[in-house]
Amino acid sequence: MLRTILTVSLLSTVMMAQPIDRTKPPETPALPAFKLPPLHEFTLTNGLPVVLIEDTRLPMVTLRLAFQAGSKYDPAGHPGLSEAVSRLLTEGTASRPARELAEEITGLGGAISASSNADHLMVAASGLSENLDKLVELTADIVRNANFPKDEVELYQQNRKQELQAQRAQAAYLASEKFNEVVFGQHPYARRSPTPESIDATSTETLAAFRDKHLMPNNAVLVLLGNLPPRAQVRKMLETRFGDWKKGTAPKLTASAPPKPKRSITVVNRPGSVQADIQMGRLGLTRTQDGYFPLVVGNTILGGGASSRLFNDIREKRGFAYSVGSGHAALAEAGVFRSVMQVRNEVVEPAIEAMTEHLAAMGKERVSADELSNVKNYLSGTFVMSLETQAGMAGQVVSTKALGLPNSYLETYTTRIRATEPDQIQAIARQVMSPESISIVVVGDAKSILPAVEKFGEVDVSEARD
Amino acid sequence: MKGLAPLMVAASVAGLSAAEIQVPFEKYQLKNGMRVILSQDNAVPVVAIYVIYGVGARSEEKGRSGFAHLFEHMMFQGSANAPKGMHFKTVESNGGSLNGSTHPDFTDYFEVLPSNKLAVGLWLEADRMRSLAITEENLQNQKDAVKEERRLTFDNRPYNTAIVDRWPELAFRNWQNSHSLIGSYEDLEAATVEDVANFFRTYYAPNNAVLAVVGDISIPEAKKWIDTYFADIEPQPQPKHPDMAEPPLDGPRSAVVKDPLARVPGVIIGYPGPKRRSEDFYALIMADVALTAGDSSRFQQNLVKGKKAVIQYQADLGWPFASPNDYIDPGFYSMFLLHLPNVPAREIVAQVNEEIARLANDGISDAEIGRLRTFLKAARLTEIQTSLGRAKLLGQYELFDGDPSLIAKELEALLKVTPDQLQAAAAKYLTPERQIVMEVVPAPPARPSGE
Repeated sequence: MLRTILTVSLLSTVMMAQPIDRTKPPETPALPAFKLPPLHEFTLTNGLPVVLIEDTRLPMVTLRLAFQAGSKYDPAGHPGLSEAVSRLLTEGTASRPARELAEEITGLGGAISASSNADHLMVAASGLSENLDKLVELTADIVRNANFPKDEVELYQQNRKQELQAQRAQAAYLASEKFNEVVFGQHPYARRSPTPESIDATSTETLAAFRDKHLMPNNAVLVLLGNLPPRAQVRKMLETRFGDWKKGTAPKLTASAPPKPKRSITVVNRPGSVQADIQMGRLGLTRTQDGYFPLVVGNTILGGGASSRLFNDIREKRGFAYSVGSGHAALAEAGVFRSVMQVRNEVVEPAIEAMTEHLAAMGKERVSADELSNVKNYLSGTFVMSLETQAGMAGQVVSTKALGLPNSYLETYTTRIRATEPDQIQAIARQVMSPESISIVVVGDAKSILPAVEKFGEVDVSEARD
Repeated sequence: MKGLAPLMVAASVAGLSAAEIQVPFEKYQLKNGMRVILSQDNAVPVVAIYVIYGVGARSEEKGRSGFAHLFEHMMFQGSANAPKGMHFKTVESNGGSLNGSTHPDFTDYFEVLPSNKLAVGLWLEADRMRSLAITEENLQNQKDAVKEERRLTFDNRPYNTAIVDRWPELAFRNWQNSHSLIGSYEDLEAATVEDVANFFRTYYAPNNAVLAVVGDISIPEAKKWIDTYFADIEPQPQPKHPDMAEPPLDGPRSAVVKDPLARVPGVIIGYPGPKRRSEDFYALIMADVALTAGDSSRFQQNLVKGKKAVIQYQADLGWPFASPNDYIDPGFYSMFLLHLPNVPAREIVAQVNEEIARLANDGISDAEIGRLRTFLKAARLTEIQTSLGRAKLLGQYELFDGDPSLIAKELEALLKVTPDQLQAAAAKYLTPERQIVMEVVPAPPARPSGE
């Protein structure tokens, strides 16, 4: 039998005795409340914070090790270095050539990979619980002793350039790239991917220097979740594998604040495009700023999912776009809100107009009680669903910790979503969704779409980089 | 209630303690022929409702390519008591998520909901199985939506035309297997309301469906709701299976496809595959794992890293639309490799042939096959973590094999494959004489063709 990980108060004896009316959806109780499993926290002697979570459903373990070493720490002039470190971290250590490492990991029924986002460099590992100690040993070896062999660096250079070329061939990629530049200006969030030049400049030395500067125990957080041995034993194991890893002084981010949002219109020319990729948005909020939860709820009403205003109007009713929606990403230093659509060249003007109206409406009128209650349920329900897998739970916990949020952030997430009032949504929308401060980025065939875009104001035109 | 006697089974996996991994389930049939699989697991307050119909792109008739997929869209356009828009709204406003998808041999729909909302999901699925709203307006609207989908997600993305439209044409000889899953604009336009109604009556009958309900449920309560909503939906004559037989392969075939959207060249290589559930089926899956699965695989280590001409690849029994879970013969074991522009495709094919020949000639060590077995165990554990993951496997194994206990037994069969069997399968199936090759060549930038 599987054991319970999330405790619930199920109110589940549902009116079986009543006659059934099949013309209406059945009445069901309110969503169940939920409680996170306990987080067991301690800090190793070298300053590495650890969180353990027990989940005995399956004989598996999942590990996340996040460093304050995302792309925002890329040196000026070397965009994509954090990403390169993450890609090469698992390609060999001082004592294990890449092939041996890969074979050992597969033999554990596991996977170890690393990735980099704007804020963090993250190592993700999983495997059969019987191999926990070995998995921890390999993870420790990788983050401490990755040695970035020359042939692996060359392979990275060769293939990353091909990948970059393929990415640049996609309009959606170009649109995001330009949008980040416009919204973040000189802030490091403006550029997250490498350039052909920075790929060329990547070497064993530059990678090792980044590793030595940022990957240290007191600049990280470790989350270990799954079918674990007794806690004292896990702690001893972690001390053995990580304990003699030396503390250091991690550099603090020195970046000026992103520019104040102001209205702008940019077209990236992509000759021959039969459609236009449009992004409209601006700076949003971090998770700790006032108005964050109302913004999350408001954004979902506007453009999250298949019941949203944008989906129903711009896709279903007006048929301008197959793909349309909006999103808000709360990064450590700033949030960013954007609505996104891909439309036929012929409807660029009415589509931008419709989007502008929807954005303005969020600040002009209160959302309806029906919309509000639907979205609150949607967000609460999908949040609980995201915790169904080990990877989902570990991901939520590690990002909470790495962003420096209190544990209560996860515990009270659904409660705070539910507490949101229409006035709060309207107030934050008036700020973050106000068309007067929105940047518009359009990627498409300038010859075909420029006249339509120019109706909205002065346009800055640039060429798509190849 | 009449029907087959309920069957209580607990599937367990050899090599792992049965207490550690179990997917208990109960299987029964309603009197209208609908098969039901219930699997209770109260760990997380979530329930997955999964309805799988025995119809897919290979059920389509000539002149009606893309019909199965068009119909999948129609399933979200409303039914007698849940008008247009209500399906999405009801699921999302109850804290759930949903989707549907079309495959060569099946079409499926799911809702994942907080577990105390189970009845709502069952009501929605039953209402559209009983009374889908098939109107001219909905049909025209969805024809437009599918054409837009085709234009944006197929015609405007690199490699998709080659993979979806051209590859099946090269690989198969029987139209049933070779036509495009998304369909042609002409065929989509030609579909009538009557076609749609017939298709619905024939294939979306309860006796052509399997319902799996998995997660935080009470079995008696789930049974009552299922009986209430589904039991009196009228059955239909069992649909005929299309003749999918392929003529024997008469030697290797090849083609070159130009792709104006691609920047990096690719090559597709395929081989006619074995019969589902035969010994060769399991042995060839193991050969694929040895060649292509994970960072330690032979392709990754010897091609991507060793020869440095292949940049990345995908491979599977059933690629591109199926995996071993839903591979139905006739089908292919295929792979798609992206490679450096300055290395010709024939050189990539030669490298692949060399790797396969090494496996076919020299076999595999006990250490290597041991690693693969551990890898497979972990992969199956990961797959069954979610209630939806378990529901999909239980439903598909029931539809295709009449045996949901394969959720554990399939792994058992894979773990039993010996090094000799693996080697023999590579030597028998993956030979240059049985090889079909399609090069995808980036074409000089041209205006992508619109509608």
